[in-house]
Amino acid sequence: MPPSAERLSRPYRPFRLAAGAGLSLAILGLVILVLSSILRAAGAEGESAALRVDIPHLLRMSAIQAGLSTALSLFVGLLIAWALNRLRFFGRDLVIALFATAIVTPGVVVAFGLLTIWGRNGWINRTLEALLDTGIGNPIFGLGGILLAHVTLNGAFAARILLARLDAIPAARLKTGQSLGLGAFERFRIIDWPMLRGTLPGLGAIIFLLCFTSFPIVLLLGGGPANQTLEVAIYSAVRLDFDLRGAVVLALVQIIVCSGIILATTALSPVPASTGPSRAQTWADGTMARLLQWLVLGLGLGAFALPLIVVIVDGLGPGLGRVIASSSFWSAAIASVAIGLASATLTLALALALGLGRAAATDRWLKLVLGLPAFAYLAVPAIVLALGFFLFVRDMGVSPTRAAPIVLVLANALLALPFAIATLGPPLEALASSRGRLIRALDIGGFRQFQLLEWPLLARDMGVVFALAFCFSLGDLGVISLFGTDSFSTLPLLMVRALGAYRTNDAAVIAALILLLTLFAFLALPRLFAWIANARSR
Amino acid sequence: MLVLDDVRFSHGANGTPYRFSMSAAPGEVTAISGPSGSGKSTLLDLIAGFLRPSSGAIKLDGVDLLPPRPERRPLSILFQSDAVFDHLSAGANVALGLPRNTPRAERGGAVSRALADMGLAGLERQRASTLSGGQKQRVALARTLLRDKPLLLLDEPFSALDDENRARMRALIARLTAERGWTTILVSHHEDDIAALARQTYAIRDGELVPSTMAAP
Repeated sequence: MPPSAERLSRPYRPFRLAAGAGLSLAILGLVILVLSSILRAAGAEGESAALRVDIPHLLRMSAIQAGLSTALSLFVGLLIAWALNRLRFFGRDLVIALFATAIVTPGVVVAFGLLTIWGRNGWINRTLEALLDTGIGNPIFGLGGILLAHVTLNGAFAARILLARLDAIPAARLKTGQSLGLGAFERFRIIDWPMLRGTLPGLGAIIFLLCFTSFPIVLLLGGGPANQTLEVAIYSAVRLDFDLRGAVVLALVQIIVCSGIILATTALSPVPASTGPSRAQTWADGTMARLLQWLVLGLGLGAFALPLIVVIVDGLGPGLGRVIASSSFWSAAIASVAIGLASATLTLALALALGLGRAAATDRWLKLVLGLPAFAYLAVPAIVLALGFFLFVRDMGVSPTRAAPIVLVLANALLALPFAIATLGPPLEALASSRGRLIRALDIGGFRQFQLLEWPLLARDMGVVFALAFCFSLGDLGVISLFGTDSFSTLPLLMVRALGAYRTNDAAVIAALILLLTLFAFLALPRLFAWIANARSR
Repeated sequence: MLVLDDVRFSHGANGTPYRFSMSAAPGEVTAISGPSGSGKSTLLDLIAGFLRPSSGAIKLDGVDLLPPRPERRPLSILFQSDAVFDHLSAGANVALGLPRNTPRAERGGAVSRALADMGLAGLERQRASTLSGGQKQRVALARTLLRDKPLLLLDEPFSALDDENRARMRALIARLTAERGWTTILVSHHEDDIAALARQTYAIRDGELVPSTMAAP
C-alpha cells in the first residue's frame, strides 16, 4: 500500500516518534507501577481490618458538591464572559489577565482568602461587631464555603475559556447581526450561543473533575467528614486514621470514577487550552443590557479579586518580618521553588517530546499512544498517585522522607502534563501539517526545525507551560501532605500547619507570598521565554 | 530529461483519476497549463514526492525518482502559497536554500546576491511578515533558485508580481535554466508567461496531459 499523502506531507522524524513513544510508554509504566503498589497493598491488607470509610456517602457528597460547583461555575463564567465580550473600557486587558490567573491560583490561597473575609475572625465579622455589636458566625465552613471557593476559581477559569469562544465569532457574522439590528437577547441566542454550546459540556466535565478531586479547598473549608471528597478521605485515612486499607479502597474508587468521567469526556468537544489575546467588540448592546453587563463584571471581579486582595493585604502586614526571619520558612521556600523549577523543566521536556512525536505521527494508533499520558494522570489524581508512590517507596525499603523530593517533582510534573500537552499539542500539530511540505522540500533537519521554527514560534507557549507547571507545583498540597515531615516541607504545607497551630498571621504571610510568587511566575515566565526567543532571532 | 510514464493517481476512491505521461528536456522550461482544479498542483506533488502514484514511473536522467523521500529527491520546488516562514527575516528564509555545509563566511554574501538578483537588495534583515505579497514571492523564488538542483518545479511563480518584476523573474529563470541545464517545470495560468518561457507545453484535460501549442518559439 502506498504511503498516504498526509504521511508524505509531514516531516520525516523517526527519532521524534521513537522518543515520544518511548516516553509515553515509560510514563504509563510508571503509573502502572504505582497502581500495582496500591493493588498489592489492598491484597496484603486483605480482610485484616474492617473498612472504616463510608464510600457511598463520600461518593454522594462529592458528586453533589462537584455537580453544584460545576453548574454554578459555568453560569457565572458565562455571564462574566458575556460582559467582558461586550464592554470596552480602560484596563480591560488587565481584567482579562486577572481572570486568566484563575488556572494557577492555588486553591489553598483562595480558601485562606475566603476564610479571611468570611471566617469567625474575618473582615465581615470584625466589621459587623465593631459597627453593630453582632456577627454572622462562621458560614464559610461546610458545603457553602466549598461551593464559594470552587465557583470563585472555576467561574473565572470558565469565563476566560468562554470569552475566547466569543472572540472567535467571525467578524462577518457580527456585521450581519448588527446590520439586522439584533437586540441583546437575540444576539446572544442567534450569534453567541451556537459558539458557546459546543464548549460547555467539555468545560463542564473538566470543572466537575477538578471539583470532584478537590483537595486543599475541601481540607480547609470542608468543616469535617460530612463534606469530605475522596481525596481528603484518602489523606485522612493515611495521615490521621492510619487506615491504609481504607485509603487503598478509596484510591481504587477514585480511579474508577475519574476514569469513567474522562472516558465520557473524550466523546465531547475538546476545550481549547490556549486563549490568546482578546479584542474588544465595537458593537455595543442597549443601555439596559450594558448596565447588567457592568453589574455582572463588577460582582465577578469583586468575587474573584477580593479574596486575593485580602490575602495580600493581610499577609504583607506586621507578621512579615517574623516569618521571613525563620529558618523553617526559608527551607520550605527553597524546597518549593526548587521542586517547582525541576517539575516545570520536566513537564516542558515531556510535553515537548510527546507533542513533537505526536505531530510527526500520521498513524492513528501511534497518535493515541502518544496522547495517553495526558489521560493517565487525570484518571489517577494527585493524592492517589502520591499514595501509590508512598506505598511503592515503602515496599522498596526506602524512607518516604528520602524519596519525597523526587516523588514531588515526578508527581507535580505529571499533574501539569495534561495542561502542557493541551497547550503545546495543537500548535505543534498545526505547524507540522501546514508547513510539512515546505520543511521537507527544503530538507530542514529535526534540530534545525526546532531551532528555526518550533522554538521561535512557540517560545511563548513553552513559557506558559513552564509557568503552569511551576505554579501548580508551588501551590500543591495534595502530594506534599503525604510526604511532608517536620524536617521537609513546602510553603503550602507550612501554611496549613501554621493555620492548624492557630498562627493565623504566619499563615497569612505565607499565603500572600505563595500568591505573589505564583502571579509573578505566571505573568513573567511566558514573557521571559518569548524575549529569549526574540533576542536569539535578532 | 524528466520522464513520466503512465503515472496514475486518484485522490480517494471517488476522486478524478489522473493519468500522466510526459517528457521534459534539460536546459528548457516545460509549461503545464489548465484550468483551476484540473490537477496541475497534483502533478507537481507527484513529481516532488508529496503524493505517491498508484502505478507508473517518474525518472530523471534515467534514475527512478519514486523511491527517495521528498527531501532526498534532486529537485527544488516553489509552492504557490505559504512559501516563506513569516517569523524569519528575508535573509534567513533565503539562507534555507543554501547547502548545509556552506561556510558561515560565505552565507551572507550568497544570500545578499540572491536577494539582489530579485530586486530585494538591503532587505536581508527585514522580517518576512512585513513584506508585500510580491516581495515574499521573490524571497521564496530566491531560495528555490539558490538550491541549484537539476529539477526545478514552479507552481504559479509570478502570480503576485507586477509586470516589471514578472519580466525580470522570467528572464532570470530562463537564463539559469539554460546556463545550469536545469529541467524546469512551470505550472501557470498565464499565457504570456508560458509563451515567454516554455519550449514545450502540456495542458491537462480530463486528468491527462496533452501536448499544447502555446509555447515560446
